[in-house]
Amino acid sequence: MKFRPFRVSVLLLSLLIPAALVAVVFFLVAYSGQAILFNGLHFMTQISWNLGDLYSDPVTVSGISVPPGANYGILVFIAGTLASSGLAILIAVPLSVGAAIFLAEAVPHRIRPALSMLVELVAVVPSVVFGLWGITVLIPLIGRYLSPSGNGYGLLAASVVLALMITPIIASTLYDALLQVPKENRESAFALGATHFEVVAKAMLPMVRTTLIGGIVLALGRALGETMAVLMVSGGGINILPTSLFSPISTIASFIVSQLDSAESDPTNMSVRTLSEIALVLFLITLAVNATAKLLSSGALNVRKRQS
Amino acid sequence: MKILNNLLRSGVAALAIATAAGAAHAQTSVPLVESGSSLLYPLFNLWVPSYTATHPGADITTTSTGSGAGIAQSIKGLVQIGASDAYLSDAMVKAHPEMLSIPLAISSQAVNYNLPGVTNLKLSGPILAGIYEGKITKWNDPAIAAANPGVALPDHVIIPIHRVDGSGDTFIFSQYLAFSDAGWASTLHYGTTVSWPAVSTAIGANGNSGMVTAAAANPYSIAYIGVSFADQAAKAGLGQAALLDKHGEYVLPTAETIGNAASSVAASTPADERISIVFTPGENAYPIVNYEYAIVSSHQPAPAIGSAIRDFLGWALNDGNNMSFMSKVHFLPLPAAVKALSQAQVDKIQ
Repeated sequence: MKFRPFRVSVLLLSLLIPAALVAVVFFLVAYSGQAILFNGLHFMTQISWNLGDLYSDPVTVSGISVPPGANYGILVFIAGTLASSGLAILIAVPLSVGAAIFLAEAVPHRIRPALSMLVELVAVVPSVVFGLWGITVLIPLIGRYLSPSGNGYGLLAASVVLALMITPIIASTLYDALLQVPKENRESAFALGATHFEVVAKAMLPMVRTTLIGGIVLALGRALGETMAVLMVSGGGINILPTSLFSPISTIASFIVSQLDSAESDPTNMSVRTLSEIALVLFLITLAVNATAKLLSSGALNVRKRQS
Repeated sequence: MKILNNLLRSGVAALAIATAAGAAHAQTSVPLVESGSSLLYPLFNLWVPSYTATHPGADITTTSTGSGAGIAQSIKGLVQIGASDAYLSDAMVKAHPEMLSIPLAISSQAVNYNLPGVTNLKLSGPILAGIYEGKITKWNDPAIAAANPGVALPDHVIIPIHRVDGSGDTFIFSQYLAFSDAGWASTLHYGTTVSWPAVSTAIGANGNSGMVTAAAANPYSIAYIGVSFADQAAKAGLGQAALLDKHGEYVLPTAETIGNAASSVAASTPADERISIVFTPGENAYPIVNYEYAIVSSHQPAPAIGSAIRDFLGWALNDGNNMSFMSKVHFLPLPAAVKALSQAQVDKIQ
């Protein structure tokens, strides 16, 4: 066979990305191996998290050297992650469906490009900016008008900040899909005497349902992994499960960031290994979400093909 | 991981030697990198420009990454100077006997409160431990009232604020609680991160600036805030609590009381200088005071690197250790006896 330099170089380059993914998984599993052994399965179901006394001599527990008192349970952080992301989706979906329909159906054609660009612009605002806005604007508002204890930090603040970050993702995917709906469908619905609302609700939205689901799952992926903005407004809950909208929470991603510095001064290294194990858990959660997105958006593509 | 570390280390060493050799032709400069404590970072940023102005050819980069990262990177040889608010633990020193903990300055911490109508509040270690453990939940708790006779304490839930990120401030605050409250010492110990007990009103805030913002936004809250942020805390209208020292007096953080704490430990500071200045027995001594450390390896990969570190840290301990630098970040210079010990440690760097 002839040696084709172009084909070979492209092949190598394309292999780099899956190789990086495999390398990350391999590193996480290999590095957290000892932690997985030490933590066992109750790791996922325990509430209490304690790095242990990093300033005393390490003790040996079933053959593994750990700081005395070390006890790693991540149920609080799994709950915080799922609760804040789920709530963010609940807030973001109506907002973004409304925004997308408004952009596609109600806005005068002349200002539509400007407005849709603005929506997409929100998607690229750095997360720390959302966090700052959360601290300076949102938290005092929640504290003053909603929270019974006057404390604005917690689940609600984190969810609202996340919702704002993911609304443009869902809105712009949905807006693009709505523009793809064939003119014929829309016009025939109007011709049958449907109101504008009925046209949107009955002739257009069913056609873009899979795109909407795909967009939501992609947004969920972003919300699950968000770190900085959540760290700034979530109240950093630890050892306590959220009981209300105003409970302090921690998400997996923000918790890893907040603990890493202390973990690095652990002489047994078990803290960093356990953080890697948590990263693995987060990785699996986001992987599941993304795989779902892939499946759903391939379905969405089929819909579009049928349209064209 | 070990192989990776070694690779990194030898790579850094080779790079350093190469740049050192290259620099020998052009100029006798070795690039140094400082990384770590965000509390020490402003001081290094004052030091480095003055040092390079008087020492042409010196090349020092400063980064603020956190004490734990500073320690870890210095041990791995990725940076030459790790900055830390906490000294190395015994276990760390056992694992890495070449690592030195060298005090460069004296820092302290205030316990701030946002308590409408109250301007002079006295608190003790056991009271603070009770608040952060969730055993003392109201401001008019008998324990707080007993420490503050004549003060009208509100019947309101306390909002305790702690750091979510690993922090030297959490280290010295939890040391104060551990040294003065046996219950805290046996369960929660001390460290740059604490397994904060479940208190439903508690807030975790990110960084000292986050602590100031959270305390200002939440009336009836209490927070521990590093002295570098004293101006911001005062501007936000937060009060400073007088804390019970080991001598049995309530002491406010002032240059005098912080200096008293530092000098009370100066004579008993061991040669490796790993000692706490928290809750010292001195008279009129503020209880939450600490040394700010440079974490440096005594075995540098090349002699030129060792001498560059010695020159800079030696300068920091002498010319750099005066009030013109320190007062800007609210630190205090080291007592003379401690300065001599630090200099002796600096001289060990090869």
